[in-house]
Amino acid sequence: MLQFCEWLEKNPWIVAIDSSVVISLILEILHYSGFFLLVGSTAIVDLRVMGLAARRRAPVDVAKQLFPWMWTGLCMAVFSGFFMFAADAVDFYLASCFRTKIVIVLLAVVFGVIVSSIVPYLDRVSSLPLWSKIVAFVSLVLWIGSILASLEVPARCGVG
Amino acid sequence: MLDFFMAIAKWLQNTWWALDISGSTWAYPFVQLTHFTGLSLWIGTNLPLDLRLLGIGTKRQTASQLSDALFAWNWTGFCIAVLGGFMLFSSAATKYVPNPAFEIKLGLLVPIGVLWHILVQWHARRFEHGPRVSLFGKVAGMVEILLWFSVITAAVSIPNFETH
Repeated sequence: MLQFCEWLEKNPWIVAIDSSVVISLILEILHYSGFFLLVGSTAIVDLRVMGLAARRRAPVDVAKQLFPWMWTGLCMAVFSGFFMFAADAVDFYLASCFRTKIVIVLLAVVFGVIVSSIVPYLDRVSSLPLWSKIVAFVSLVLWIGSILASLEVPARCGVG
Repeated sequence: MLDFFMAIAKWLQNTWWALDISGSTWAYPFVQLTHFTGLSLWIGTNLPLDLRLLGIGTKRQTASQLSDALFAWNWTGFCIAVLGGFMLFSSAATKYVPNPAFEIKLGLLVPIGVLWHILVQWHARRFEHGPRVSLFGKVAGMVEILLWFSVITAAVSIPNFETH
């Protein structure tokens, strides 16, 4: 893996992208915008499943309106994040904070998928079951945790 | 004018909360977390409404229904972002005040963006003609998307204009 990171960092395409101020700025804008769209839209669905947001609308209506934007945000963040990672691949690979961030983001995505799969079921029950609220709460905590983990990468490990 | 703002910035930077944030190793990321969580809620609820006005994505709800459903958490996100942003600004106010990217972001783009968003929310129902959105509504949604992308552009450009 370390060898792959070394190769990636020295790849002429990655070097060219990293040395362009404009492309680096565009990637950063895409990464932040994608992350905000991802976390914000997921948080609203989680809050709806917890019974704390958009209570006049059915959970399935809120989810079907917002989940496409969650996945769009995720694609934007992953696409731009890959190029941001590639420019300093070795440093990121060796940084424990970055690995923690990736684990938390992956867990948050898994919980996002779980929430999206239980929402149609919630449409058929009269009141929101406690277990669904717990799953949504864990998803929300993981997404907030992923923001904190992202902020800790440059703060504690000095990378990015 | 700059002297006036620098005097306020110096006072702000020496308040107890600003000194606590800048003097602590763990407080700064948590204040950033507050700002970013608020921004996620704000941007993550603004963009779906603007995209709905543009007719992009799922059409299960009308723009006004979506605006009403997201309203409370939209403004909660804004208040959290302002609180976190104010604390971040306080901790290094004298560094931010002369920064041109920060000046454009906070002095121009954010006020226009917020006022435009209020107009969009206020008129969301009037933009609708049955399931369709008028041309004005589409333009309003597009302008708001461009405004918030401009705010993010100015924000990520702040480190490029920092003087040490």
